[in-house]
Amino acid sequence: MPRIALTMHPSDNVTTLMDGRLDQASTHDGLLLKTSVPFGHKVALRAIAAGEAVVKYGVTIGVATTAISPGEHVHVHNCS
Amino acid sequence: MSTTAAELPGFEAYVRSDGRVGVRNHLALVSTVALSNRTAELAAAAFDARRAVSTPPTLLVRGEFQRGLQATDAELLNRILTQLVLHPNIGAAVVLCHDRRAAQVWRRRVAGCGKAVEVLAVMDSQGVQRAVDLAVEALLRLEPELHRATRKTCALSSLTFALECGGSDASSALCANPAIGRFVDSVVAQGARVIVSETAEFIGGEAVVRSQSVSAEVADAIIARIGATEARMAGDGDHYRGVNPTAENIEAGLTTLTEKTMGAMCKIGTSRFEGCLAFGETPSKPGLYFMDTPFFSPCSITGMVAAGAQMTLFAMGVFNPSGNPLAPTIKVCGNPDTLQHWHDGIDVALADMIEGHIKLDTAAQRLQRVIMNVANGALTHTERWGEGQFIVPRMLPAF
Repeated sequence: MPRIALTMHPSDNVTTLMDGRLDQASTHDGLLLKTSVPFGHKVALRAIAAGEAVVKYGVTIGVATTAISPGEHVHVHNCS
Repeated sequence: MSTTAAELPGFEAYVRSDGRVGVRNHLALVSTVALSNRTAELAAAAFDARRAVSTPPTLLVRGEFQRGLQATDAELLNRILTQLVLHPNIGAAVVLCHDRRAAQVWRRRVAGCGKAVEVLAVMDSQGVQRAVDLAVEALLRLEPELHRATRKTCALSSLTFALECGGSDASSALCANPAIGRFVDSVVAQGARVIVSETAEFIGGEAVVRSQSVSAEVADAIIARIGATEARMAGDGDHYRGVNPTAENIEAGLTTLTEKTMGAMCKIGTSRFEGCLAFGETPSKPGLYFMDTPFFSPCSITGMVAAGAQMTLFAMGVFNPSGNPLAPTIKVCGNPDTLQHWHDGIDVALADMIEGHIKLDTAAQRLQRVIMNVANGALTHTERWGEGQFIVPRMLPAF
């Protein structure tokens, strides 16, 4: 069973994983992602370049500090 | 909006002499300075061992309240403590001061307030045990006063709600905060007062404030307070990641303060700000208000409760024990893991929103049922555990 991922706004470039099925590597929408991303954490919906805005709720919540690939975990290690 | 003003039911509560409504009838013991805290604790325990079964446990109001504060901080502390003594959830109160002069000032302050209040000074007694005994005797004298209050049917419009969130995570933005927001919309339409605070958690939410204020002046006032807080944080030279968002927010997946802010703001629903309040300032008319407070929730809740809030609606992601002993704190949570492990501390469970099993209206109705039960006297988990603190902020160094 793929993971539940909720995207808050059409212009978002991240989606939020809302379940604890950490062994799954895809979402309902077919996005491939790494396993073990915890409940409530974000993954990139598409490639995000270093310095590009990270958008959730349709607003810029931070800036990518390194290049982020689709499906990659987005958090304090690559976004500030 | 599924819940119209006409549909919201009434509840049975205590109408005070100033016309305000209490959802609790506490006998309070208020220690005005940290020096008298231990006397107050001993007196509360001794009274609780003797009180009638129908008398609720003594509500102990105490904090690390200091002497030697600079004028503005001293005025704020006195104002907040006075407002707490006069709070409608308190039926009668003993105010315990350390020295006689403070007691004289307090007697003048509460004279003619229409509530049974006795003021004592620890230094008026001779001996530690005698000081405790005098406070117990005052509580015993006030106990019958408490039982003179009777419940009458009240409308939700007579209430002020404090909104709070703690342990925020992604579920807070999807479940607890939006459900509170939907309830807020219905209760504001009904004529209640609602206060939201924690200025730092509005950083990044200025556009929402702009679009959800009744006037440009109100929006400007709120945004000025947000800007002042942001400037203080930047000017301090410290890193605020790990402070806010807190370590547990980051562990739960929130990356930046703006991300946290956007979730927190869901709890105002579609309502518009009527005004911008200072810490502890009472809303002058019905509607939604912003209060400028520190973000530590026991402190921000103290400000909203001092302003008259009789109940606190607390959105939670990961568990947070914060609350206020005076205004019942209703814990609302949508994180399935938190609900599984901390169910003995949560009043409203909303995890079924995540998989789309229930809609926002159903969630808001579930929340409203609990609010009505609590308004009618049902105890919240924070009351059952005796959780909650009183914290008055201090802006300047003490002398």
